[in-house]
Amino acid sequence: MKSTTSTSKNPPSDIILEVKNLVQVYGKRPVLNGINFQVRKGETFVIMGGSGCGKTTLLRILIGAQRPTSGSVHIFGEDITTASPQELDRIRLRFGMNFQFGALFQSMTVGENIALPLQEHSQVDPSLIEMVVKMKLELVGLTGFENFKPSEISGGMRKRVGLARALALDPELLFSDEPTSGLDPVMTAVVDQLTLDSTRKIGVTAVVVSHDMTSCFRIATRMLMLGSGSRQGEIVAEGTPAEIKANPDPFLQQFIRGEADGPIPFRLSQDDYLKHLLGDG
Amino acid sequence: MKFSLQTLLNVEGNGYGLLNVRIFGWILYGLTRRDVLVPSEILRQMIRIGVQALPMASLVALSVGFILAMQSSTELGKLGANSFIPDLVSLSLMRELGPLLIAIIVVGRSGSAVAAEIGTMKVNEEIEALRVMAIPPVRYLVIPRYIALMIMLPCLTIFGNCVGLAGGWAVCASTLGMTTSFFIEHAVHRPELWDLYSGLIKSVVFAHILITTACYQGLSVEGGADGVGRATTNAVVYAILWIIIADALLTGLFFFVL
Ligand SMILES: Nc1ncnc2c1ncn2[C@@H]1O[C@H](COP(=O)(O)OP(=O)(O)O)[C@@H](O)[C@H]1O
Ligand SMILES: [Mg+2]
Repeated sequence: MKSTTSTSKNPPSDIILEVKNLVQVYGKRPVLNGINFQVRKGETFVIMGGSGCGKTTLLRILIGAQRPTSGSVHIFGEDITTASPQELDRIRLRFGMNFQFGALFQSMTVGENIALPLQEHSQVDPSLIEMVVKMKLELVGLTGFENFKPSEISGGMRKRVGLARALALDPELLFSDEPTSGLDPVMTAVVDQLTLDSTRKIGVTAVVVSHDMTSCFRIATRMLMLGSGSRQGEIVAEGTPAEIKANPDPFLQQFIRGEADGPIPFRLSQDDYLKHLLGDG
Repeated sequence: MKFSLQTLLNVEGNGYGLLNVRIFGWILYGLTRRDVLVPSEILRQMIRIGVQALPMASLVALSVGFILAMQSSTELGKLGANSFIPDLVSLSLMRELGPLLIAIIVVGRSGSAVAAEIGTMKVNEEIEALRVMAIPPVRYLVIPRYIALMIMLPCLTIFGNCVGLAGGWAVCASTLGMTTSFFIEHAVHRPELWDLYSGLIKSVVFAHILITTACYQGLSVEGGADGVGRATTNAVVYAILWIIIADALLTGLFFFVL
């Protein structure tokens, strides 16, 4: 009954998400190594980082899809890493998740995908659900695609359906895993605008994972960069977009500018390469 | 009662035993609430995994009827006991071959399909998406399939028994010169009700083994397409294995112990 005590403590009300000393080890390799951050109500918190640095892993832990090796994650003041399935379900009704690869139900149409959370968790009648589905599709620029199967639309469209589904129950908190990767510049802007509308107008708090710098700076109110390579698992920088831009960290600057030369390694060093080739690395 | 049921459904883990516990938990829970057992979804699954297996099941049953009649006529004919062929065909179908062979056909036809379907959903993160939407995958995916098969397999078995008898009749009438009325009288009068019921109990047990194995294998897929392939194979192999073992146990129980 640990979680009861933690809820009754009533943390400062505007902290929606609090991550403490989060560690995730795969095999022996720490992918996340002591991550700490907080997200406040109304923020759009962007998590940046190179491919394979652990962004999806972090999100999966945040939504309770996977238990971390150690550390805690409090959402709405409740520890999601120790919550019982029943408590988890209650918390999950208050947030939406947009998966990196959409995770749409292949056997259902686009419309049914978006309608599912409504059918399962609200008592409204079918005609109203149909209307909400139309509204959500309009929101992501997919009016008229209700009856298409996920396999019949493009990857970018699938991502937008995933977003519409995540927003179906009007959540207080939205998690979005690379919502704009694979989208053309116009659709990237559309999805960014949608995130902005949800956060700035409706007051949804958003945690967005992305490695698209333009889009990061367009939507973020605060950002965090996860390290990779020699800095795997640690937080490289955290702050407002202005602070991040001004941060002199060479690792961060290389990432923002998208340069091939810099501290971010994409090849082994000369010595390591030799060792690897000779088979004792 | 309700509270204990809730705690039961909230036990964590992924074992096969736990899947069974969850299935029974949800069905009990569903009896008290209307939105857990969705009739339209159950009906859809009955058509997909039951009705669509009908042609194959009939073909198998018909062949088995032929085989039984032909094989027994060669031996019983020597003893001049051809008149027992209808009894033998109908008894072996009802007690043994009907339930077993229909179950094996449905494993191959529908068990593999269920394992592959749920496994693909697992790989595609759809199961994860269900969980994140606070929709328990066992309730949403497993329960309709479970109930559908528990209803359909015994029905298919009864149907298969009839088709098999027709096969036996065809052989007897065409090559042994038996009259139709003679065949029907013997085939229907000889078996007792218990012969029919024991077969149906078997087919209910087989249905349980079949669908839980298929769903369990599907839900435990790891990795990509290769994982789905492995799960499908495992579902078929283990389901058939356990069905045959259960058959041996039940036959022993029904005809030697009771
Ligand atoms: N289930 C897993 N088992 C072992 N290693 C994993 C698993 N999931 C992810 N990883 C590893 O963790 C690292 C981070 O993966 P991921 O979170 O998907 O990265 P990102 O989303 O930032 O591209 C990768 O190097 C990946 O190989
Ligand atoms: Mg990722």
